[in-house]
Amino acid sequence: MSIVQRQKALISIWLYGSMLLWTVGFCLIMVIPCLMMLFFPAQRREAMFRRVIVLYGRTIIFGAVWPLLRVKYEDRAPTEKTPGIYIFNHRSSSDPFLVAALGVPLIQIVNGWPMKLPFFGYFARQGRYIDATKTEYEAARKHIRGLLKEGVSVVAFPEGTRSGNRKMNQFHSGIFRIALELNAPIYPCCIVGNEELPDLNFRFRSGVIRICRGHPVMPTNIAAANAFVLKTRIKALIATEIAEIESEKKL
Amino acid sequence: MDRNDIIKAVNSIFIDQFEIEEMELSPDKTIFNDLGLDSLDMVDLMVGLQRKFGIPLRQSEEIRKIEKLNDIYDFFVKLIDEHPDAAARFKNGTGN
Repeated sequence: MSIVQRQKALISIWLYGSMLLWTVGFCLIMVIPCLMMLFFPAQRREAMFRRVIVLYGRTIIFGAVWPLLRVKYEDRAPTEKTPGIYIFNHRSSSDPFLVAALGVPLIQIVNGWPMKLPFFGYFARQGRYIDATKTEYEAARKHIRGLLKEGVSVVAFPEGTRSGNRKMNQFHSGIFRIALELNAPIYPCCIVGNEELPDLNFRFRSGVIRICRGHPVMPTNIAAANAFVLKTRIKALIATEIAEIESEKKL
Repeated sequence: MDRNDIIKAVNSIFIDQFEIEEMELSPDKTIFNDLGLDSLDMVDLMVGLQRKFGIPLRQSEEIRKIEKLNDIYDFFVKLIDEHPDAAARFKNGTGN
């Protein structure tokens, strides 16, 4: 085993151990409030579960992994609070945790497997996350319209699967079609620096992860004729932001 | 209406509707990985092509098998052969 591999193994043991401890601590604190939430009406309960998920995510990314992993959040539009559709690049399995840095009420569109996880899946189902593998287009659009009206934003990773490197894969069009039809604001966002945090074998090294939320884009304002044109323009905005962050050589 | 006319007509949809640069449209490009169209975009593409050629397209196995740009050219070359009336309309400029 090389020095780098040994170092990675030690960092991974430390980080997974720390995340486990923080998760246990979080659960102990939240168990009674979560049980109480079950007695609230559905809409209120869902909102509460979503808040707990975001709080848990922030606990992990700003607490449990610090100082080996430092997460920096930059908001290019701090005064903009309108709920919308957040479009992220997808490099790593840590992305769904990192979106908690946004600090806004949100749900995520996920592939089927996270919904089936014994612990996280329960919370995702309670928070009415969208399972992209099971939800029909019309049902997803109706659900998203309702969420936006309630002030809840929607996070999507239109690449569908993590790239595991700095490359951005092709985007799927579904969420852009919904944004176009609802004329919902789109926030181009990026996560940079976590392409190997963890790597495809779920091992960590130390590092800095930067998350950036861009200015919202209204689909009608950029005169996109269809979902393909809209996704191409949003992807270009994200790619520009990523290039700027990476050129700063802070990573 | 020969193959080149069909290629031009198909490419014009990619350029006008999807804002894809003409130089990117080489026959060996794959629809999803190279050009970035997914199944929903394919529906938009087929609607555009249907209007362009004035031929009603039904969901067929051949459309589902399309992977490369060249497959779309081949598909429409075959379709135009089967619909000479549409080819004549297109040549006279009465197609959409």
